[in-house]
Amino acid sequence: MEQDNFSGYHPVIEFTYFIFVIAITMFMMHPVFLGFSFAGGAVYYIYLKRKKALKTMLWLIFPVLILSTLLNPLFNHEGATILGYFKTGNPLTLESIIYGLVSGVMIVSVLNWFSCYQCVMTSDKFIYLFGKIIPAMSLIFSMVLRFVPKFKAQIQKVSDAQKCVGRDVTNGNVLQRAKHGMKILSVMITWALENSVETADSMRSRGYGLRGRNNFSIYRFDSRDTRLMCIMAVLGGIVFSGLILKKVTVLYYPLIEINEPGIIAVLTYTAYGILCFLPFILDIMEDVKWHYLRSGI
Amino acid sequence: MALFEIRDLSFFYPESEKPALHGINFSITQGEFLVICGKSGCGKTTLLKHFKTVMTPYGVRTGEIYFEGQLLEKVSQRQQASDIGYVLQSPDNQIVTDKVWHELAFGVENLGYDQQTIRLRVAEMASYFGIQNWFSKRVEELSGGQKQILNLASVMAMQPKVLVLDEPTSQLDPIAASDFLATIQKINTELGTTIILIEHRLEEVFPMADKVLVLEDGGQLMFDSPRKVGPALADNDLFLAMPSPVQIYNGSGQEGTCPLTVCEGRNWLEQHYKKKQTETPQKKDNIKKKHVKKQEEKETIIDAKELWFRYEKTGQDVVKDLSFRVKKGELFCILGGNGTGKTTTLSLLSGIRKPYRGKIFLEGKDIRKIKDKEMFRHFMGVLPQNPQSLFVTDSVLGELEEMAADLQAGKTEKEQKIQQVIQDTQIGHLLKMHPYDLSGGEQQRAALAKVLLLEPQILLLDEPTKGLDGFYKKKLAEIFAGLKKRGTTILMVSHDIEFCAAYGDTCAMFFNGSIVTSKKARDFFTGNSFYTTAANRMARNIFPDAVTVKDVIERCRTVRQQG
Repeated sequence: MEQDNFSGYHPVIEFTYFIFVIAITMFMMHPVFLGFSFAGGAVYYIYLKRKKALKTMLWLIFPVLILSTLLNPLFNHEGATILGYFKTGNPLTLESIIYGLVSGVMIVSVLNWFSCYQCVMTSDKFIYLFGKIIPAMSLIFSMVLRFVPKFKAQIQKVSDAQKCVGRDVTNGNVLQRAKHGMKILSVMITWALENSVETADSMRSRGYGLRGRNNFSIYRFDSRDTRLMCIMAVLGGIVFSGLILKKVTVLYYPLIEINEPGIIAVLTYTAYGILCFLPFILDIMEDVKWHYLRSGI
Repeated sequence: MALFEIRDLSFFYPESEKPALHGINFSITQGEFLVICGKSGCGKTTLLKHFKTVMTPYGVRTGEIYFEGQLLEKVSQRQQASDIGYVLQSPDNQIVTDKVWHELAFGVENLGYDQQTIRLRVAEMASYFGIQNWFSKRVEELSGGQKQILNLASVMAMQPKVLVLDEPTSQLDPIAASDFLATIQKINTELGTTIILIEHRLEEVFPMADKVLVLEDGGQLMFDSPRKVGPALADNDLFLAMPSPVQIYNGSGQEGTCPLTVCEGRNWLEQHYKKKQTETPQKKDNIKKKHVKKQEEKETIIDAKELWFRYEKTGQDVVKDLSFRVKKGELFCILGGNGTGKTTTLSLLSGIRKPYRGKIFLEGKDIRKIKDKEMFRHFMGVLPQNPQSLFVTDSVLGELEEMAADLQAGKTEKEQKIQQVIQDTQIGHLLKMHPYDLSGGEQQRAALAKVLLLEPQILLLDEPTKGLDGFYKKKLAEIFAGLKKRGTTILMVSHDIEFCAAYGDTCAMFFNGSIVTSKKARDFFTGNSFYTTAANRMARNIFPDAVTVKDVIERCRTVRQQG
C-alpha cells in the first residue's frame, strides 16, 4: 500500500492522535468542533483513498444524515420550539431535528476517522503498541494473523480437491452437502493441529522459551516524532483548557445555547481546527516539498 | 576438532521392537557439506532430529553425540539454539509470524539481543539473501521458494555454526529448488557454515557434497565422498536415486573415474566411447515407424479447442488460444515453467473452472453438457498437487471405504474394488495409518487409490512426482503402466523432465498460456537442447537420440560389445 506522510510517523503518535480526535468528536456535540472534525476527517480520508473514499462517503453521509434527522424527532420530544404535533399527541420540536442532524454529523465523522485509522494503523503497528504493554500478546496476535489466511487458503484447496471427486459443499443434495461440509471442517481441524506441531518444532528450534526474549520493532521514535508530539501537546492543551474553562459550551435542550465567541473560544476553535487537519496539512507540506525537490533536479 | 561426532548411536521409538537407528558412527568437521540419503522411512529424519536436544523424539537412545567435543546434552539450550540451525520440509508450517521482517527477527528476539543488534542482524540477512524487496510484505504473499529462503534467512540470522536441513526443497518447483540449493552452497563456501542436508534431488547436491552418508533400514550403509559412494551403490535400490551420470557410469560397467556432473559425464563419455561409437540408424527408424502406426489407430478422448481463460475480467489471460488432443490410453505429459497456466488448464479440463472462449470435448461430448454425477463417476479422476487435501478421515482404509460408499455396487463388489486398488497402488501395509502420518510418496499413492476407486477413464494428475525419490517414482510409473493397459488415459502436468522422458508417451511444452509443441516423448527431447534430460544433455554429442539413462546405458553396452 502506498504510504502517506502521516503514516510514516511513530505508531504511538498516530494512535494518540486518533484516540484524541475520535474521543472529542464523540463527546463534544459543539457544532463548530463537529464541523472541523467532519471536514478534517473527510479531507484526510479522501486524500488517502481518492475516488473510492468519495464513493463510500456519498453512500454513507446522506443516508445517515437523513435517517438521523428524521428519526430523532420521532423519539425525542424535548425542546421549547414546537413546530407541530404528531398523531399520538407528541410535539415535534425544532431542537430535536437539529440535534438529530448534529448527531448524524457526529456519527459520520467518527466513521470517517475510523476509516482513516484503518488505513494508517496497520496490523503490525497495532501489534507493536500492544507488544509494549503485554509482550506475549504481540506474538500471539502476529501468529493469529499468520494462521487465519493460511487456514482459509487450505480450506480452498481441500474444497477444490473434494470437488474433483464430487464431494464438495456444492455437490449433491442438501443433506449430502451438509455432510461434505462437515467432513471438510473436521479434516481442517486435524490439519491445523497436525501442522501446528511443525510450527512448534520450528519455534523451539529457534530458541523460543529461552529467558529474556526481546521484542524487535522496525519503528524508532525520531526527532521528527518528538516535534510532532510537542505540537500535538500544545494544541491539545489549548483545546482542553478551553473546555475546562467552560468557554466552549453548547446546550440543545430546551433551547439551543452556544457560548459567546470570545478570544479564548476562538483560540480553542483554531487549535482544534489545526488538530483535525493536521495529517492533511502534513501530507500537503510533504507533497509541496517533493514538488520543489523534483523541479530542482 | 570435529564439529559433530556420533558414536555408536542407536534409537528405539517407544513400544517398538525394531530400532529406528542402529550403529551410526561418523564425524564431520567445521565447514563440511554432508548429504544424507536413503529410501523413505530409513531413519534419515530421525537421525537428523538427534542433532538438537529440543528436537530429539521420545524413545530409548544409546550411544553418544558430541558437539564441539562436548556431550550434546551438556551444551546449554541457548548455545544449541543459536549454533545449530534447523530448516524443515514445509515452507509454510515453519513460519511463525505474519510479516517477513518479524519472521526474520524471531530467532534473534528469542536470544534476547538488544534492538540495535537485532536491527543489524535483520538488515544483514535481508541484504545477503536478497530479501530487501519483500521485507515489509505479508508472509502469505510470498511464493513457496521465497518462503523457504525466508526460513533459511531467519535461521541464519542467529549465526549458526551448523545448518541442518530436512528435505528443504521437496515442496518447491525445480527452479526454486535449485535456487535454494545454490544458496545453501553459497552459505557453505562463503561463510564456512557446516551443512547437513537430507535431499532426494541428488542430481544437484551430489556434486556439492564433501561427504555422503547412506542409510538403510536405520543402519549406516556407507559414509564416504560422493565419488566413492556413487560406484559402490551400483547394486543397491538406491541406485535409482543417483544422478544420471553416476547411473550411466554404473550401468555401463564402471570404466575410469566416476563422473558427477553433466559436464564431467560428457567428457567421460567422449573419452571412453567416442572412438568405438558406430551408428545404427536403421533400427531406430523401424522403432519410430511402428510407434506412429500404433498411435494413429487410437481415438481422441480429450479435445480442447482454442481455450481462453482468465481469473478476473480485468486480469491477464492465463490460458491463451490453447488447443490440443489426447489419445485414448496414453500418458500425456505437459511440461513447462512455473505460473505458465498448467494447473489452470487442469482445472478447465475437470470442469472446476470454465473457459470464457473455446470448447472442450471429452469423448466427443461437450464438457458443459456433462453432468456433475457423470463427470466424477467412472469418467474423470483428478489428483490435486497436494494429495493431503484429498483426505477426510483418520485412516487410509477409512478413506477408501468413504469413497466406495457412494459406488453403486453390492457389498462384496465394493470390497473387491477396494482390494483391487490397494493391490494396484501397493498400499496394503498402510491401511491402518492416519493419512497425515504417511510420507510424501505414500500419501501420493493413497490419494491415487482413492481417486482410482471411482474407476476413471481419464486421470488428471498435477505434479505427481513432486517430492518423491527415485524409488517411489519407479513404483508410480509401474502403477501408471498398469492403468494404461486397462485403457485409462493419463494426463499429467509436471516439472519432472526425467520422469516424463522415461515413461511419457506424448510430451507437450507449455509456455505463456498455451502449448508450443507436442510430440512423441523421444522426438520431443532429442529436439530440445536445454529443456531435456540430463542423460540426453550428457550424451547428445555421441548418442544424439538417446534420451533416458537406460538408452545411454544400452548404447554404451552395444558399443562395447562391438568394440
